[in-house]
Parts: sequence; structure tokens; C-alpha cells
Amino acid sequence: MTFPIFPAHELGLVFAVLSGFGFGFVLERSGFGRAQKLVGQFYGYDLSVFKVMFTAVVTAMLVVAVLSGVGLTDFKVIADHATSETLLVPFAVGGVLVGMGFVMSGYCPGTSWVAMASGKLDGLFTVAGSIVGGLVWAELEGRPGFSKLHDATNLGNFYLWELLHLPARSGPIVLAAAVIAMAIGSFFLAEKVERLLAPRADPLAVATPGGRPRRFVFAGMIAAGVAGLAALALPTGTAAGARRGEVISPAELAQRVFGAPWTVRVVDLRPMAACAAKRVPGSECVPEADLAKLRLADASPSRDLVLLGEGDLAATPPAAVAFPGRLLSLSGGWKAWEAYALAPAEPPAPGASAAEVEAYRVQSGIRSALTGMKAAPPPPPPTAAPGGGPKKGGGGCSG
Amino acid sequence: MERNPEKFWNPYLAGVALGLVLAATYLVMGTGLGASGGSLRMGVAALSAVAPDHVAATPALARAAASEHAGWLVYELAGVVLGGLVAAYTSGRLKAEVLKGPRISTAGRLALALAGGVLMGAAAKLTRGCASGQALTGGALLSVGSWVFFLSFFAGGYGLAWFVRREWR
Repeated sequence: MTFPIFPAHELGLVFAVLSGFGFGFVLERSGFGRAQKLVGQFYGYDLSVFKVMFTAVVTAMLVVAVLSGVGLTDFKVIADHATSETLLVPFAVGGVLVGMGFVMSGYCPGTSWVAMASGKLDGLFTVAGSIVGGLVWAELEGRPGFSKLHDATNLGNFYLWELLHLPARSGPIVLAAAVIAMAIGSFFLAEKVERLLAPRADPLAVATPGGRPRRFVFAGMIAAGVAGLAALALPTGTAAGARRGEVISPAELAQRVFGAPWTVRVVDLRPMAACAAKRVPGSECVPEADLAKLRLADASPSRDLVLLGEGDLAATPPAAVAFPGRLLSLSGGWKAWEAYALAPAEPPAPGASAAEVEAYRVQSGIRSALTGMKAAPPPPPPTAAPGGGPKKGGGGCSG
Repeated sequence: MERNPEKFWNPYLAGVALGLVLAATYLVMGTGLGASGGSLRMGVAALSAVAPDHVAATPALARAAASEHAGWLVYELAGVVLGGLVAAYTSGRLKAEVLKGPRISTAGRLALALAGGVLMGAAAKLTRGCASGQALTGGALLSVGSWVFFLSFFAGGYGLAWFVRREWR
């Protein structure tokens, strides 16, 4: 998973200004800094709001769905991060109120900033109003009567593919295909409505024609949708089965457990008593019979899952097959871990390469961290014989 | 570039451009675009300059003041203002004016703009985001709540449109 990048704080703020610039620029050029053009949506003679918004929704959805199809990102990880929880009643009630505020003020909170930036005094008043309104509600939302409405019917993060009981892997792209069909159909309908109402249009809000580029946009949407569906069949995708059967060596596992424990989730499948006595640091003791209780199919794929048994695992346990992320098994199982991390390491032979000496140092370090026993210090690396030639002068304080 | 204030981008191409900005934000930051959260954060900052104890004592205000995402949105809004300014200047639409229909006074239009803003600001708290933060960001990621918002947003707009028609025509 390459995306999201999650840059450092300051870089994120630079990106904020850049993406905001793009956002504001596109909104202004769409005519969304002008109230008449926006409210035309609600009188039927200029449906640009619907066209621009819905095209943007379909485009962004397709980018994320196709990239997650080829394994560069994960639709659900981004969705869990970027969307809010679903609260049915507050959203239904609040949505109606936002819509009413939109047709009264002529802007939504985002476009009011663009209108203000382009000198529209009504935009400035809408910005001021929305700040005041937000503060007033923040003041009220904790009060008994209001908090009941504010926090009602919270369904948590809830997605359309879950509503329709589609799998998390293929659900988003299947739905994306349905949304494309819906979008193109409703765009044709919208243009028909505009043509019908054109004689009554406000001269300040004439529908911007879709023209020829429309065809390319629609064809592009369909092509991206087909590409996304095709990506489901790709072996490089994170589709179930594609990445099963990878192994990790005890040395690699130790490096990750100590060096980057947030990247890995270790599940120990041995019987509870054995696991409770000695186990890999940070691992969970889950006997194989109980593995289904972890509901790995719905677990976050952001950490790689490492399974280990007494020895090599004969096969991937069925309960883990549907895990959406990278699935690894510990090569040699617990026995190999014990031999690597808990037994004294074999000192490298004289004249060993630097890499061998380094591996020995790491292994001894891990053993002493886990057992509290000190290893014999490694032999000093071979040094070059003191070289000839008089010492050269130079350097700050050689005098 | 020609400066024609009557000329707008093709709505479908503009939608693709907006979608790509949104997708880039998902892929870099793991979050989407927004507006109301950033607006509120500025209000909270102003309020805490006057009454810091009150902000600390009100959970919703303290949350907004501490939210890292809301802080990010303030920078994003600074970008929105810059982008809007540059686009308006280069298209010849940068002009101090009040946009309204011929049948309403300027004061009436500004009062409605303010009232509509207050209504949206309050309701966007209830919906955890406005047209950008909820409908666009969540809609593209197939959140059920965002699609509920999308539908009821249009229902509210169409429901009230007839009553305020004199504001626009």
C-alpha cells in the first residue's frame, strides 16, 4: 500500500494550501463564485452544481477504486480515514437545513469563500453567517435536548457496499460501476430539463453547455470503471489468494518486531499454555480454533499479519484467507524463532564478512534483550595493517 | 488567456478537475476537502481570544480548537481564497458587488445571505460537514451518511426555492 502518504505536519500544511488553491480555482471557473449560477440548480434552468459535483464524485471515486484494485491503496482505509460516521437522523434533518441555507444565501460554505475572494459582498456575509452559526450550534449541541438530536442514530463508519452486503474488496468498484451508469443517465436528464426551461432562464445564469468534451468525459468514466473491474482479476491486486503463502524468516520478523512494531501484527496459533509461557514479543495468543473470532476479513490491512505455529504452517488457516492485507507465515514457526532469538548465537568464524558479523551482533542483541543474558562480545572486525607514509599535515588543530 | 466574465468551464471537465484535486487530497493526506470545519475553527480562534475560559469549558468548542484536521482546513481555506482570487482576476470576474435579482434590495439580499449562512453553519455541525466535507468527500467514498446528506440537501433546496424566488429573479 503506497497511498495515503501521510506527510509530516508542515508538508501537509503546504499541501493544504495547494489543494485549496486547486479547489478554489476550479470552483470559481465553474461559476460557483456567483450566487445566481449556483441557485439556478433549484429553479431548473442551470444544473451546473449537480453536473460538476457529481462528475467530481465519480472521478475521485474511480481514482481511489482503480488504485486500490491494483494494490497501490485501499479504498476502505481511505474511506475510514476521510469520511465521518453515519448519523441518519441528524444528517437527514441537517441536510434539509443546509439545502435551505444554500438557496437563501446563494452559496454553500465552500463556495461562499470563493465568492468572498472574488469581491462579492453577499459571499462575505455568508462566510460571517456560517461562522456565527457554527459557533451557536457548538454552544448548543451539548445541552440535553440538542445532544439527543446531535448524536442520534449513530451507525459508525457505514458504506453503501456494506448496506448491500457486498464484499469489501470488490464492493466499491462494483458500486462505482453502478454510480457511473446513474451519473451518465442523470446528466442526460439534467440537460433535457435545462433545454425545457431555457426560455425562462436568468440571463445571469445560463446553463454552460457540455458540448463535445462531454462525450470524452463519459467515455473516460466508463473506461476507468471497466479498468477497475478488470483489476479485480489481477494477480497483483490484494485480492484474496493472491498473496497467500508468503513466508518471513525469524531474523526478518525480529527486525520488524523490534524496529517497526507498528507495521506488523503477530498471531500465535499454538495452544494457549505454550503461547502463554513463551512467545514473540507483542504477539497475540489465539489458538487456531479461535482464529475466526478475530474476524480477520474485516480487520485493518494497514499492518501485515504474521501467523506462526509450532513448526511450519501446513496451510493458511481458512479464517485468515480473507484477510485484506498482506499475510505472512513465520518460516519454521516457534521452533525456528526459539533457535534464532532465545539460543546463544554462533560466533562468526575468523575472517567472516562484515555482513556476517553484523547479523551476529543483531542476533546476540535480540537474545540478550529477550533473555537478559549477555553474549560474548563479537571478535573485533579485521583491521587493515597500519599503513605507511608520514602523517600528512592539515586539519584544524594539527599544529 | 481571454478575460470574459461570461465564460465558464465546461461543467463536466470542471468536475473531472475537481475530482482530481479531491483524489490527490485523499492519496496524500488520507482526508478530503472541507470548508465548514475550517470556518468554525476560525470562529473558535476569535472567540478564544476574547473568552479563552469559555472555549475550554465548552466541549464542542474545545474539540474544534484541538482538532488537527480543522487546523489543516484553515490552511486549505487560505488556498481556496487564493485560488478563487486568481481565477476571478484572470477571468475578469473580480469585482466588488452584491449579486442579487432586480426585485430585492441590497440590504434584504445581505440579510438573507447572513441568515442563510447562519443556518448552514449550524446545520453543518449537525451533519459533520457541508457540501464539500460531506457530499463530495464522503459521497466519493460511498459513505451511506454522505448520500443521505446529498439527497436531503437537494430536498431542502428545492423545498424552499419557490419561497425565495424574488431574491433571484
